Amino acid sequence: PERSARVSKVRPPLHQYIRKLLFSDLDKSSIERVLRQLRKLPWSECDPYLLKCFMKVHKGKFGQIHLIASLTAGLSRYHDDFAVAVVDEVLEEIRFGLELNDYGMQQRRIANMRFLGELYNYELVDSSVIFDTLYLILVFGHGTAEQDTLDPPEDCFRIRMVITLLETCGHYFDRGSSKRKLDRFLIHFQRYILCKGALPLDIEFDLQDLFAELRPNMTRYSSVEEVNAALVELEEHERVVATEKANIDKHSETGKSPSRTSSGVISVNGQSIANGSEE
Amino acid sequence: MKGPLDRTKVVLRHLPPSISQSSLMDQVETRFSGRYNWVSFRPGKTSQKRQSYSRAYIDFKRPEDVIEFAEFFDGHVFVNEKGTQFKTVVEYGPSQRVPKQWSKKDGR
Repeated sequence: PERSARVSKVRPPLHQYIRKLLFSDLDKSSIERVLRQLRKLPWSECDPYLLKCFMKVHKGKFGQIHLIASLTAGLSRYHDDFAVAVVDEVLEEIRFGLELNDYGMQQRRIANMRFLGELYNYELVDSSVIFDTLYLILVFGHGTAEQDTLDPPEDCFRIRMVITLLETCGHYFDRGSSKRKLDRFLIHFQRYILCKGALPLDIEFDLQDLFAELRPNMTRYSSVEEVNAALVELEEHERVVATEKANIDKHSETGKSPSRTSSGVISVNGQSIANGSEE
Repeated sequence: MKGPLDRTKVVLRHLPPSISQSSLMDQVETRFSGRYNWVSFRPGKTSQKRQSYSRAYIDFKRPEDVIEFAEFFDGHVFVNEKGTQFKTVVEYGPSQRVPKQWSKKDGR
């Protein structure tokens, strides 16, 4: 049978160049050059296309995602609107993925979790966004009629999403209020896990690794009753602390948001450590 | 960190894929003219493979404007040229960051 030859997409030279920079040139050693080249682009013209390409992180290598986050940070000094758009886009994709829970999108959704974590590491989102996202993953669609499609009982994909995000940036939540926020989240997470029942072994091992890395001394609860009791205790404790804090606040003005130095500089090993000093 | 009461950035989701920024903003302008600082419009797409909604991010000047905006636009139904209805959702932007005004010109 006669078939027409597949027509390959013809892209304008500028788009081809952007793709070459991001999808073939970009690596650890070339990142500074790629950043300089991106800065030289006619921005008003190719801003939307760049955003589109930055959102293709799932097509590249998993290990490259931090480079894209690093470029976003590097560009934010001159094109802050672009960095804001990248963050908004990633968060929307995560949300959209939860709304659809489409099997074919899994690789992409995992890449987006990694990307969000790296955007935190490069100080483009703050910890509240990370924790809001983590809780959103645990509760989205629960208590609605669609719960069984959005998060079927045997579906462990959301656990993978949480693991991926915390593997990427969880180690920065090791002090101050973000440490407490992670402690608290991990108990809620344990409750979610226990409600799933028996887990596939690979997920169980990934969880063990995650807990070993982030909170080696944390209790892993073995039943929903236990974890519920722990949550009740936690809430009780939080109430006491909140009351005490309210009394102190009457006398001294606190609650000033910590200022974060937004350097946006690409560091040699691609990891910024500044988030560790947050709060 | 911004508390729940001082958030000013909202996202309008589930807008018709083909709505244009200007026709959306015309509707926003009639009631909220001068009450926001920043808008970012993300056009949707209609293709055979997948349809994606349009979105808009708006940063209001005061948290109270957000409430009024949501009262008006949350659940607001847009109708496209084919008569399909789109029920819009208004939510706080998950990231409250907006571009810094001073964003310097790139000397390159």
